[in-house]
Amino acid sequence: MNERRSRRRPSLNLGGNLYMLTGLLVGIGLGLLYSWILSPVEYVDTAPISLRADFKDQYRAAIASSYLATGDLARSQARLALLGDPDPLQALSAQAQSAWGAGDPYGSAYALAYLAQALGQPPETPLPSLTPVFHSPTATMPSPTAGPPTVTSPVKTPVRPATAAPTLFQSPTPRPSRTPTPTAGAPLQLASQETVCDPALAEGLLQVEVLDAAGQPVAGAGIVINWPDGESRFFTGLKPELGDGYADFLMTPNVAYSLQVTGAGVLVTGLSVPDCQGEGGDFWGGLRLVFRQP
Amino acid sequence: MSSRWVRFLLAILCGLALGVLYGWVISPVEYVDTTPDTLRADYRLDYVLMTAEIYHSEQDLDLAARRLALLGSAHPSQIAAEALVTATHLGSPEADRLLVQSLAAALLNWEPSPGGGAP
Repeated sequence: MNERRSRRRPSLNLGGNLYMLTGLLVGIGLGLLYSWILSPVEYVDTAPISLRADFKDQYRAAIASSYLATGDLARSQARLALLGDPDPLQALSAQAQSAWGAGDPYGSAYALAYLAQALGQPPETPLPSLTPVFHSPTATMPSPTAGPPTVTSPVKTPVRPATAAPTLFQSPTPRPSRTPTPTAGAPLQLASQETVCDPALAEGLLQVEVLDAAGQPVAGAGIVINWPDGESRFFTGLKPELGDGYADFLMTPNVAYSLQVTGAGVLVTGLSVPDCQGEGGDFWGGLRLVFRQP
Repeated sequence: MSSRWVRFLLAILCGLALGVLYGWVISPVEYVDTTPDTLRADYRLDYVLMTAEIYHSEQDLDLAARRLALLGSAHPSQIAAEALVTATHLGSPEADRLLVQSLAAALLNWEPSPGGGAP
């Protein structure tokens, strides 16, 4: 009997601890059930920075189209800041390039490129004109996937994203004029092709510059590049800080590329990443092609 | 025995508090891919204002309606009207209010064009 009692005591103590632990775990479980499922934190007053990537793209496109309509760069910059892009210029350029590459289904590529170019200009510098053909806004935006709208209650201390002074829109902003594009009668010619061995540049960087007959950069020139496994399209003028006629593409080493400027008629073949020698050893270099109207 | 029940219930309450603390404060549900219909009222207003600015320039009501569809499935005129209320409430500049008002008025009788799909 004594022996049995002495054996029971440890199990009784363990049981005492277990029911406390069980209670704690049950409580935690109920707490998580309540806070994660029954009454989770509700986000009804979100900011554009938290939007899903495709909605951000549509928001960005609207900002660009609005800038095209009003010419209010300060307000557009303030709006772009709401999206939280690390580099708004890069985001605009990438989206414009992507839109152009996809055939510009929403007609926003021109506006995106135009705003990107405006952001890349130093202050007080008149905007150079762009060459891309303006797409009439007949394309449809994708229908939203969101459910019925949640009418959020206005906050007490609203933060207006736009900081610019009120702008009167008495007359629509004139469209930017277009620069002459390479015509069929004056095909572009490959003026130069050189290897660039600069360790400061990205490896495999293919730089393309398109100039008109006067030596002025041509923005919006389409470039098609092919390689055995694929094809890509890009355009000049999407990195205005590097020049309106500039475009680049990252090549993969040991892959042969061919390139053609749209409408140029000149197909440049056999392009590949060159091997360069530097102080620190061999490295992959880049290429620089210059096309020019005769 | 009753003491054990009390301690058991206390343990549950402690766990409940810990669970709620963890779920609400330490690791709340994160919303990173939100939809535009959850935007705060002033951001919704700014988006409607952008649409109004574009409409003022392009005069394309269908496109304006499709742009507003990003903010929800309500009729575009209702979305614009709500934005106008917000603009008035926030004391937005008169020029901005006029633009939104003009868009809301234009959208009043707008209906999706056949084959164009709902906004």
